[in-house]
Amino acid sequence: MAYEGLRQGKWSRRSFMKATAAGLATGALAGASFPRPAAADAGLRTIGLGVSIINEIQEKATKDLGFPVVGQALGYGDMFSKMLNQNDQYEIAEGYFNDMRVMGPAKVWQPLDTKKLKDWDKVTDLCKTGRLTPEASVGQGDAPYKFMWCDENGNKVQGPSRYIIMTPTFHNADSIGYNPKATGRPIESWGELLNKDWRGKVALLNVPQIGTMDAAMAIEALGLKKFGDKGNMTKAEIDFLVDYLIPLKKQGHFRAFWENFGQSVNLMVNGEVVLESMWSPAVTAIRAEGVPCVYAFPKEGMRGWHGGHAISAKVQGKQLDQAYEYINWWLDGWAGAFVSHQGYYHSIPDNVKKHLDPADWDFWYMGKPAAKDLPDPFGTIIIKKGEVREGGSYWNRYSKIAVWNSLMDENNYLVKRWTEFLTA
Amino acid sequence: MTTVESYAKVTHLETPRGLIGGAPIAHDAAEAERKYRREPGFPVPLLIAPATLWLVIFLFLPLISIFVFSFWKSTGHGMTPAFTLEHYQAFFASEGFFDPSKPDFLTPSVFIRTLWSTFRFTITVMAICLALAYPLAYFLSMQVENFKWQLTLFLLAMVPFWTSYLIRAVAWLPMLGRHGLINEFLVSFGIVEEPVSFFLYSEFSYTMALVQLYVVLAVGPIFFSLAKIDRTLLEAARDMGATPFQIFREIIAPLSLPGVAIGMIFIFVMVMGEFATAVVVYGGKSSTTGTVILNYYAIANYPFAAVNAFMLMVAMMIGVVIILRLVDIRKEL
Repeated sequence: MAYEGLRQGKWSRRSFMKATAAGLATGALAGASFPRPAAADAGLRTIGLGVSIINEIQEKATKDLGFPVVGQALGYGDMFSKMLNQNDQYEIAEGYFNDMRVMGPAKVWQPLDTKKLKDWDKVTDLCKTGRLTPEASVGQGDAPYKFMWCDENGNKVQGPSRYIIMTPTFHNADSIGYNPKATGRPIESWGELLNKDWRGKVALLNVPQIGTMDAAMAIEALGLKKFGDKGNMTKAEIDFLVDYLIPLKKQGHFRAFWENFGQSVNLMVNGEVVLESMWSPAVTAIRAEGVPCVYAFPKEGMRGWHGGHAISAKVQGKQLDQAYEYINWWLDGWAGAFVSHQGYYHSIPDNVKKHLDPADWDFWYMGKPAAKDLPDPFGTIIIKKGEVREGGSYWNRYSKIAVWNSLMDENNYLVKRWTEFLTA
Repeated sequence: MTTVESYAKVTHLETPRGLIGGAPIAHDAAEAERKYRREPGFPVPLLIAPATLWLVIFLFLPLISIFVFSFWKSTGHGMTPAFTLEHYQAFFASEGFFDPSKPDFLTPSVFIRTLWSTFRFTITVMAICLALAYPLAYFLSMQVENFKWQLTLFLLAMVPFWTSYLIRAVAWLPMLGRHGLINEFLVSFGIVEEPVSFFLYSEFSYTMALVQLYVVLAVGPIFFSLAKIDRTLLEAARDMGATPFQIFREIIAPLSLPGVAIGMIFIFVMVMGEFATAVVVYGGKSSTTGTVILNYYAIANYPFAAVNAFMLMVAMMIGVVIILRLVDIRKEL
């Protein structure tokens, strides 16, 4: 018995320290719920949001590639800080170009050699030049093409270059989701977010950087102010925006500020709001609940975001080869086809087409009426035959990105004023 | 020492409070004897080592590093060692603070206002919790005679704690929402025509949820301190003609104070650090200092997050000290 051991002084100070250390280590390991592959060089750990980290995707990759790919889906804040501060805890970062202002200079990811990326030539121009089609607008804010290119040391350069910091893969453009039954008319402008008709029935996204951009889209749509760059507002612009929003909030205009995907779904399913800034899969989730929901295609354009795959600076040797294999697997399109059922796009549409049912392809990418009932990624029918996606084809939707998700120079000031807005 | 002297000494220890007076206190020496005799057997270092190690590694070092980081410089993607007061300045002074030419030169910064509203709100929640918990604990300990029933009912009061914190918060949504249970009831019985909005995503729902989440933390300690009260004291008071109110005011209330204080400290510390419940039942429509910390953490401005964390800690410590000043727990226990 341990007690006997203690009594007889069998436990030396050293063995005690060892035991304590072992106990602490066990506790620490148990606390970190991240399952580590058996050997350090066998397999990959990939982290990101639930957008791209989905069991089905990493399981399929494991099967196709022959080594384990373990995914960890985090909330936005946790993902951000883990990517930034613990790049020895993952091999792949499924990150976002709007974080590049932080991740780039921090050098937590290694430059990727595009020569090692299969099908790099087939990747669209959206991230290479900023224009998916020659006539498309580049959009305000942190457009991916401004942050993708780097030199062999990972320093940002004006593209094109042989090296990139992150491989562009999944992306989408966000707007407003609304319940057409409750609004009684189509929603076609960001200005509706601040329209008094919907007082008390509107929700905004409670991420300061994005919430303010949606509000800025609305303010501009209402003709109240023209912003120089909605993706990089000046202090005066932030002041104007927040000073306009505070009285609205006091009048009860906003029903809620949602922080996660599930909340945005519940708000509309429970009839708390009739329109809200929303992410694409929330629309499909709301429909799966039997509540009508349309993803608006505002005439001012959408708010774009772009995700991608980066490799931690710590990865080398065999794991580095595996990391490239996983990225090439993503570029091959199966995963892109999987997430297209949620409305997301992929940087090589041709590769996605190989893996998609023609009816799905026509609906999600071509903007044609659904030829039959279409499922979400998990098999629930969410699109009824004959429905059309708002905004038309992928190429049409991406011809009009008004602004990209961004980190502003005045980020600290923005967060401060947003806090003030929420406290008001 | 004569009998009279020693009697005087005993009675002098505690100035009689009120009608019934304080209980005689045991002799100093006996008290000291009782307190400081150590059970032989376990070596002291072994007993305190686990807790000390745990506290040093997982509490003191992190706290110290938070304090140290609050003086570091933010680089936009991390921080570098430095000694700068700029984050404290940003915390206390808003633009134009103490600048007489600005109209709002006496307005404290939004961070102070947030901390203040967090504090004010915490006090409200504490008051409501106390008002609910005390009668409940009183009923359990004083009115329920059978010990078995006492225990059963006490455990029953603890049942909400068996489910996760988040579920208890989320459970309010189908209750209070526009199409929630209460509104369906009100509308179907014609009490209101339109569903009432203020039940959910309001200060009302936020307060309700917090009270429900934390009231049990007060019931427990108050129940235990009430249950510890020597019933013969109450009997004696009754025999001497004290009214029930007098008994409560002069015996029960003072003797249950330690439980009240412990319960209030629990609630104070929990609610001051709140940030998650507001998201669920207040629709994120208010900011607490916890939210501010998260927001700055999310944009990698760790020093400023550290300043807010440190100031929150200071506010908590002040609160706990005030409560402990009002009630000397060590003496009363």
